[in-house]
Amino acid sequence: MTQTQAPPQSDTVKLIAPFMNAVRDVLQTMAHVQTRVDKPFLKTDASTSYQVCGIIGFSGQLTGSVMVSFSDAAAEKLVEAFAGAKLARNDPDFADAIGELTNMIAGSAKQHLGGLASISIPTVVIGNGYVVANMHTIPCLVIPCNTTFGSFAVEVCVMRNPGN
Amino acid sequence: MTFNSDEIFQIAKTIWETTLGRPIEAETSGILANRPRSMAACIQIAGAWNGAILLDCPIEVARLAASAMFSTDTDKLTVPDLQDAIAELVNMLGGNIKALLPGGCFLSLPAVVEGGDYSARVPGSRLINRIAFVCAGSVVSLTILEKIQEQSAAA
Repeated sequence: MTQTQAPPQSDTVKLIAPFMNAVRDVLQTMAHVQTRVDKPFLKTDASTSYQVCGIIGFSGQLTGSVMVSFSDAAAEKLVEAFAGAKLARNDPDFADAIGELTNMIAGSAKQHLGGLASISIPTVVIGNGYVVANMHTIPCLVIPCNTTFGSFAVEVCVMRNPGN
Repeated sequence: MTFNSDEIFQIAKTIWETTLGRPIEAETSGILANRPRSMAACIQIAGAWNGAILLDCPIEVARLAASAMFSTDTDKLTVPDLQDAIAELVNMLGGNIKALLPGGCFLSLPAVVEGGDYSARVPGSRLINRIAFVCAGSVVSLTILEKIQEQSAAA
């Protein structure tokens, strides 16, 4: 994935910080694992960080989407810790668990972002060699995350709606 | 909430004809052809009604759509062109379907998945309607999913 340094914009920081906190809190509470959050960077191409992805849309005063993209190893172990049972990648409950983790991260961040925004139901994509493309008009910041279970990334592609 | 299949088909037909200049026909065999490479676009609706709209189409249809939208020869199109075209199609479909819903609904931005080996699922939703149609010999499917309402703890 091509990357560049995130622009030092105060609004960008305000938008991304709640997601960094949310991911730490949700995984600590729901999967009992500590998350190390690395320096965010600006995504400049459509490649997908990892192959198990939960995507959730924002609408209202905030517009855009957030994608939580897990490596296979991280997804399997996080789901096991979260659901309390080992689930196969093709089990519908596996996708449900990924969707619920994505929903919790987005929901927790939304609470701290202020303003009236709605989050949609999550879409979960699992596979190999695919890419997920977002709207090119909104910059996408990638937050790399590491746990003892493996790596994952939170891709934040959200902006405040002009006029709100 | 229910959606009439004929109404959804008419929405798709109008968009395909006016935007792409391509006629579509209803696919009734129920068979989706094998697709070595396809694109799926998803847009969500939140607010008074919560759900998602999934458009799944072969790469050939994405190419025809992008060519028509950007007035560019199919052999000069880039992958982002195809992604933008599919995103715009699902955005138009979502906007028209939103008009059938009660007020106070918001559309999210579309996300496009492209590849040869993936499955897309919307957990916590139920199938409301699915239609399929043929465009330039390829089958396109459109799926509407509704969020399952959470039961109250007392229920």
